[in-house]
Amino acid sequence: MKTAVDKHKVVSEAEWLKARKKLLVKEKKFLRLQEELGQERRSLPWVKVTKDYVFEGPNGKQTLADLFEGRTQLVIYQFMFGPNDKLGCPHCSLRADCFNGINVHLKHRDATMICVSRAPYKKLAAYKKRMGWDFTWVSSGNTDFNFDYHFSFTPEQISEGKAFFNYKFQNPGPTEREGHSVFYKDKRGQIFHTYASYSRGNELFNLHYHYLDVVPKGRDEDGRGPFWVKRHDEYDR
Amino acid sequence: MKKEDSGIRKHPVVAHEQWVAARTAFLAKEKEFTRLRDELSQQRRELPWERVEKAYVFDAPNGKATLADLFAGKSQLIVYHFMFGPDDKAGCPSCSFWADNFNGIDTHLKHRDISFLAISRASLPRLEAYKQRMGWSFKWVSSNSNDFNFDFKASFTPEEVANGTADWNYSKQKPGSTEVVGISAFYKDPDGQIFHTYSCFQRGVDMMNGAYNYMDLAPKGRDEGDLRPTMAWLRRHDECED
Repeated sequence: MKTAVDKHKVVSEAEWLKARKKLLVKEKKFLRLQEELGQERRSLPWVKVTKDYVFEGPNGKQTLADLFEGRTQLVIYQFMFGPNDKLGCPHCSLRADCFNGINVHLKHRDATMICVSRAPYKKLAAYKKRMGWDFTWVSSGNTDFNFDYHFSFTPEQISEGKAFFNYKFQNPGPTEREGHSVFYKDKRGQIFHTYASYSRGNELFNLHYHYLDVVPKGRDEDGRGPFWVKRHDEYDR
Repeated sequence: MKKEDSGIRKHPVVAHEQWVAARTAFLAKEKEFTRLRDELSQQRRELPWERVEKAYVFDAPNGKATLADLFAGKSQLIVYHFMFGPDDKAGCPSCSFWADNFNGIDTHLKHRDISFLAISRASLPRLEAYKQRMGWSFKWVSSNSNDFNFDFKASFTPEEVANGTADWNYSKQKPGSTEVVGISAFYKDPDGQIFHTYSCFQRGVDMMNGAYNYMDLAPKGRDEGDLRPTMAWLRRHDECED
């Protein structure tokens, strides 16, 4: 059956090229804006981390410093998997499908990338195995880490709309939220929090969206958000 | 102290409240950027289409496949033009890096009416051997026996390369090799007509590299300023020393 997308304007190759070149100018401008923004992001001041956090990971207890694995930069993906959840969040699982293979490359740029969740380590390890991922995933369940960096909230903060999420007080929905935080460790071993992103600030890392954005139907979500997402082994069930 | 740490050493360190103030101000710019990206995606989809008139036949894992076959029952097709020429022994390291990013997401794209695959001019046995070596699962077909790569500006003749007359990224240029990277999108309507809707080359594929997007968050950024070529640090994932 033909739909609205089938009524699209069809032109000759010469006309297509003309229109495409016009958009290319805008795409290049956008790329330069992205570079400027990246520069500005890295110019943001840092905050020294003064608390001692101890995580549970594949090697037992690990401090925040240990998580750097000898590198100076640490990128954390805060994976929504609360202490009482049976499984990791399907949307975070899609993101993990996007970043699972890139660790090896980031390592060679002096950056360690890992996931952190509040669920106990045993649950994280079992879920990771089921999904076939190989990144490091540690539990912050026994620390305030997720609360301090605003990725977990108390039921009271949520019901009162007083959770500090994405740099304002609001109701973030569930007690666990997704996002990134970035840390730097200097030669003296001091650790600094350099950056964090929430909400659509994470979209740059949704590779599937970058691909969806180049096809005729686009994201095709009709304002409903990513309603269609399932865990990669659950689509055909 | 290593050279690249010099700028990092003197970075301003502030109290949490000051950090939140600076971060919140920057958030406004990030939101503007996200909205600009939405607009650009909208304009991209509004581009006119061109009809594909030629019949292309590819070498695919299950035998010969037409361009229509590559849609695998979906109405949208995304092609990653993977640099792997007929005489190359292995796929391009840079494209291999991009593949490490997109391997695994075709499962999700399938459920958005998209067939996603890679196309190269190297023979199918070479593509399959390399794919196995790298442990990837996406579909990869060979365009070695057709003009597909040339028609969609992902391959050039040695003469075009030597003369700087290759029609690369919508201008006459001198690419470094006969094969270049790119992404093309196609649409198939209910009558079976196929349209070319979009292609991007060079840094047009930048967004699709999550690892670079992550590096952009980290204090050192891509940190390629002193490297020539800028990606001199890159190795295939099984060629990294550790």
